[in-house]
Amino acid sequence: MGSSAGEWSAEQIDDYETLISTTDVELLKKAWRNEKVSPEILPFEEALVKRAKEQIQLMEETVDDFVESGHDPLIASLYQMDLDRAQFLLRSYLRVRLQKIEKFMFYIWKTDTYRNRLSMEEEKFTERCIRDIGKHLEETVLSNLPDNYQSVLNQSVISEEDDMVPEPLLDTFVVAKCERTTRPLYLDGSRQSTGFDSRDDHFLMVPGDLCILRYRPFQEELMSGNISLV
Amino acid sequence: MHGRKAYELVKEFSSGEKGHLNIFNNELFERVIEECNEHHNAFQSLIRKMQEEGLEVQTAKNADHYGALIHHISLIRNKRCLMAYVYNRAEIIRDLAWKVGLLHELPREIQEKFSDSEEHYFKDHSKSLKLYMSQLSLDVNVDMVPPKDPYIKVRVLEDLGSGIILSDKSANFARHSMHFLKRTDVEQYIARGLMEELTG
Repeated sequence: MGSSAGEWSAEQIDDYETLISTTDVELLKKAWRNEKVSPEILPFEEALVKRAKEQIQLMEETVDDFVESGHDPLIASLYQMDLDRAQFLLRSYLRVRLQKIEKFMFYIWKTDTYRNRLSMEEEKFTERCIRDIGKHLEETVLSNLPDNYQSVLNQSVISEEDDMVPEPLLDTFVVAKCERTTRPLYLDGSRQSTGFDSRDDHFLMVPGDLCILRYRPFQEELMSGNISLV
Repeated sequence: MHGRKAYELVKEFSSGEKGHLNIFNNELFERVIEECNEHHNAFQSLIRKMQEEGLEVQTAKNADHYGALIHHISLIRNKRCLMAYVYNRAEIIRDLAWKVGLLHELPREIQEKFSDSEEHYFKDHSKSLKLYMSQLSLDVNVDMVPPKDPYIKVRVLEDLGSGIILSDKSANFARHSMHFLKRTDVEQYIARGLMEELTG
């Protein structure tokens, strides 16, 4: 990659950026950002979390060795800071998910799409949360009410659906950045038909676009990785 | 007036400081429950009256039908208010479990505001969180803010002796002593008011 000493060619910069953007730290950062901004719980990044845990453990051992062997303390504390940052990302990612579960536990439990997005430990956690709050609500409120009104999920037995379950608000606005060109879609949520379409009010994003938009119509684009949230 | 007491209950909750609990208003709570049962009795007697008159309960739209409907609607409104009161308090209790450190004793002023069931809920929820963390062998409730420095200066506010476990050294934590410690070790003590961070 011949270039004048000390300067990077455009090619090198591209390569470097591609390399950086696929490191685990970047992937974790992206997963963390998406999870933080999205109103619903996103699929659990099982492989990524596992790798991140292993790498953090490796780093911890390295830093411990450095400290013990009396290696340059500045380097050791730089590694330590890097380690702390990675740990923060991982913990915050898991924490945000737990807090979403706490907020929408009933809805997540009864909606298969969401339930399948939980890790095994999160599923157990959800179950326990439901059991705990169910017990608490039952003792305090429900057991004291007349018979037909004792359910925690609906107002009374004549309700047509579970109307006491809070749902995530999918129509909130989020800021999204485009990574890959999205499929064109109409902002009212309908898809473009395959034939020639006379409607020209469809919307698509190209890489580099930064937009504020409602979350719901863009769920699929987020899942496929075409956009990411900021 | 239907629903007024339930409204008062919810208003009391929402007029409190955000994130803080008032003492559990047992008296008002019980009165709303009583009201629910009164509504239910009135509802049932109206339905019985209609049945005795040989009227089809669902379709005969006379005064009794509407009277019963109003009792039913008032009842579910009271139920919603009661559930909202308890559920929102439970949300605050969960936040406390995250902040203060699981299963540790809450300060007395906060503990007094819980009802009995809420105390149990706090313990149950702390246990669920602890179980999750032990399954992952990862503490999720430290590092609550992004790290700037791995070590921070703290002053000890209460006499802790040497009863703290630190990851890399031990020291004597007498009151007012200052130390330069790892942030992850001391976060919990700061949250519980036993230490304070010295900035600047």
